[in-house]
Amino acid sequence: MPSSRRSVRLSLTAAASVVALAALSACGSSAAPPAAAVDASGNTVVTVAANTDFTTPVQLTVPRVEAIRAKLPKAVLDRGTLVIGVGGLPNSTPPLDLIGSDQKTLTGNEPDLGRLVAAVLGLTPDVQNASWQNLFVRLKSGQFDAGFSNITVTEERKVQGLDFATYRKDNLGFEVNKNTTWNFDGNYQSLAGKTVAVNTGTNQEKILIEWRNKLQAEGKTLEIRNFADTNSTYLALSSGRIDAYFYPNPTVAYHVAKTASTPNPTRSAGSYSGAGATLQGLIAATTKKDSGLVEPLAEAINYLIENGQYAKLLAAYGLDDEAIPKAEVNPPGLPINNS
Amino acid sequence: MTVAVNVRGAVKSYGTNRVLDEVDFTAQAGQVTAIIGPSGSGKSTLLRAINHLEPLDSGYVTVRGELIGVRLHKGRLRELSERAILRQRSRIGFVFQSLNLFPHLSVVENVIEAPVVTQRVPKQQAIARAKDLLTKVGLADKIDAYPRQLSGGQQQRVAIARALALEPELILFDEPTSALDPELVGEVLTVIRDLAAAGTTMIVVTHEIGFAREVADHVVFIDAGRVVEQGPPDQVLVAPRHDRTREFLGKLV
Amino acid sequence: MTSSSPPKPSQETELPQPVKESAETAETTDDLVDKLESRRVVPLRHPWRWVASAVVLVLLAQAAHALTTNDAFQWDAFGYWFTRPVVVEGLLLTLQLTGLSAVFGLLGGIVLALMRLSRNPVLQSVAWAYIWLFRSIPLIVLLLFLANITALYATLSLGVPFGPSFVEFSANDLLSFYMVAVLGLSLNEAAYAAEIVRSGIISVDQSQLEAASALGLPKGRQYRRIILPQATRAIIPAYANQLIGLLKGTSVVYITSLLELFGVVQSQASINSGQIIPLLMVGTIWYIVLTSLLSIVQYYLERYFSRGALRTVPPTPFQRLRSRLRTTGVAR
Ligand SMILES: Nc1ncnc2c1ncn2[C@@H]1O[C@H](COP(=O)(O)OP(=O)(O)OP(=O)(O)O)[C@@H](O)[C@H]1O
Ligand SMILES: [Mg+2]
Repeated sequence: MPSSRRSVRLSLTAAASVVALAALSACGSSAAPPAAAVDASGNTVVTVAANTDFTTPVQLTVPRVEAIRAKLPKAVLDRGTLVIGVGGLPNSTPPLDLIGSDQKTLTGNEPDLGRLVAAVLGLTPDVQNASWQNLFVRLKSGQFDAGFSNITVTEERKVQGLDFATYRKDNLGFEVNKNTTWNFDGNYQSLAGKTVAVNTGTNQEKILIEWRNKLQAEGKTLEIRNFADTNSTYLALSSGRIDAYFYPNPTVAYHVAKTASTPNPTRSAGSYSGAGATLQGLIAATTKKDSGLVEPLAEAINYLIENGQYAKLLAAYGLDDEAIPKAEVNPPGLPINNS
Repeated sequence: MTVAVNVRGAVKSYGTNRVLDEVDFTAQAGQVTAIIGPSGSGKSTLLRAINHLEPLDSGYVTVRGELIGVRLHKGRLRELSERAILRQRSRIGFVFQSLNLFPHLSVVENVIEAPVVTQRVPKQQAIARAKDLLTKVGLADKIDAYPRQLSGGQQQRVAIARALALEPELILFDEPTSALDPELVGEVLTVIRDLAAAGTTMIVVTHEIGFAREVADHVVFIDAGRVVEQGPPDQVLVAPRHDRTREFLGKLV
Repeated sequence: MTSSSPPKPSQETELPQPVKESAETAETTDDLVDKLESRRVVPLRHPWRWVASAVVLVLLAQAAHALTTNDAFQWDAFGYWFTRPVVVEGLLLTLQLTGLSAVFGLLGGIVLALMRLSRNPVLQSVAWAYIWLFRSIPLIVLLLFLANITALYATLSLGVPFGPSFVEFSANDLLSFYMVAVLGLSLNEAAYAAEIVRSGIISVDQSQLEAASALGLPKGRQYRRIILPQATRAIIPAYANQLIGLLKGTSVVYITSLLELFGVVQSQASINSGQIIPLLMVGTIWYIVLTSLLSIVQYYLERYFSRGALRTVPPTPFQRLRSRLRTTGVAR
């Protein structure tokens, strides 16, 4: 139930078409590789939180773990790279994924975790930024080995042929304009009469709808608004068309800090467990079903949890509250009937 | 006297409308043949059939003995390739009733286009010749003008110069003066008269009975797609044998 | 006076006072000319034009004031972003994508238009179906499909359908994201360009083709030399519209993992979310600059292709300015 973005429902079944082409110069778009180096004892040194202006870089040493590496499919071993997909185009979701302050390098909690996992597996990380839709098409076609992109475990995605190795839960938060006084006190009744924006198809939306129904039963109102993207939601917030924006807490914190010195500063007006009333939603490394990657991914994440690099990574991005004790493979996800 | 144009059994229908109905006529080389007749009688269609702009349903046309637009194959007439037809047309000048100049090309460009492209005349030579022709039709000072900057009569003379530039063995005129006021009619008729004097074979569809009488060697009167009467102008225009011709001429006066 | 009414009454009422008196005493207006102080006609004054202009100028000044003094626009942030390398890179990508797909789209459009106008029913219906299909598919879906064609066809080959193939390419090698974007935009653009070109061609009078073929000009020459130049005149304004749409429409290429101008602006706004408005303004101003350049090119192209269509080609703004300065005696 945590922050899931829209799910892809574009099914691309198309008739064969002969595509004749003039050969032109090719020009790829993979993000520049991060600062990673192999030290004298064969350990990889990964610099996480590099290239950001809101936190300081941390160097983490990660050994290559042969026992886990041995479980990788042969094709991946032969290739020697782990292609990590991030769905950060055109809108980033800081601090989870974003273009660094050099305005080039892809950084953030998600790609950094992918890099750490690749180090455990002894693979070279190849981080590729894509649009959210393209991310899923490429995961399903096996062009991306693993998606590290704030992807929520859902039953629907399992049916669509994806495997999950969880690595994070998240909290949700309310963002409001700084010059307002309203706060969320943990009780849905404090939302009576408010207009709140939420991202379509997310667990936040599900929670809000539940609250609205309760309020309606009590004869009160709660207006829910959906916008095309986060940028337009932020604009609606600063223009006062909505009272609050309900979405993942790490991004609330990030955005509050970013707007502090602008003409339209905001503040956090309280948080709420992304677990909601009944479900614990989880964010997971996502891979093509039965590609043989999900187990090694889960074990590598567990290795990082047990050996402390995981905690340091989350701390570097201020995400300590979202830590999980253990990575799981394909735990129960958001049920299918949840739109 | 040699036959320049021979039309035999020409039939053309649009749907049920039989526009040409077994038309036979000949035009002699070096002569001016005038085609007259009421509106809608098929004059334009006949003229267009001569250079195959309008393919016939049956019958045929020859120009100096050569079949136009078709060839004889195992006793049947088969249509020629587009390319071959275009080649034949480049030897037959056609002057349309109106608005047939290329408005985006200057006068001289209009005139040299066909010789340069179809006869591969070098451009300088074509321009020199175009200047001669334009001088002949009295437009020496207009060679760089665009058609829309010219008067109606001047445009019509450019059209004639354009047709002449191919040095055609035959020129077809479709009502070259109908869009012009009387004064401009004079300009154009003078040019045609000069051509006639030089012995160019011409077929002219016209409403100018006076002009036909003066310049034509042979007059063909057609009505409802049929040749009603033909002969020298003194006969057809002055003493017609058919009532229909008399009626038509009577209305004109 | 009774018999002849003045030919231009409005002119007479405009005459200066003394002349009017003498006109009244005159038997007829025939000898009016001799009594005029000057033969020059005083033009009608338009005071309301001045009022309207003043009102509009005041409103414009207010708008400019509102734009420059409201700190929501954060003009310093605007200045920072306007020429940032990442923005300039996006701008260049926008220009490349627009330029390439405009050219390929137009070429494809010309071919399709000629196919649709041909008398061959197969060519006609293929062109019709192409236009129908590519105008129906949302561009974003087309791009996503092309970007992931590798998921469907790992190799592309040139050869006989259902028969042997001569050359094989790995789809991933052949189709970089950049090429996917150019290809997708061009395929889409060609469908629209085809209709624009066709409308231009059918706007040229049929008699032009007839005249050309009566002269025996070869078919290709008839189109190249006679029809297309005249059609171009009708095509330019419509295609310029289409191009400006394309310029901004390129922003959908983010779906194939490319960020052009608007993509960069969006992406940077989502990171520097306090500066959404100045970043959007950066994109807007760049689009205004590009659209202005296109409009200027359009103006001169239209002028060029109006040769012969207008009796006199209108002066360029520059020429107009010069002649105005000359008549007021500023420049000589
Ligand atoms: N493309 C066409 N389709 C159908 N009918 C046509 C076509 N062209 C001509 N016609 C018809 O054929 C008949 C003869 O036309 P044509 O142009 O030959 O007449 P015309 O004798 O030249 O008349 P005018 O003196 O008015 O020019 C007319 O009834 C006309 O309506
Ligand atoms: Mg006619």
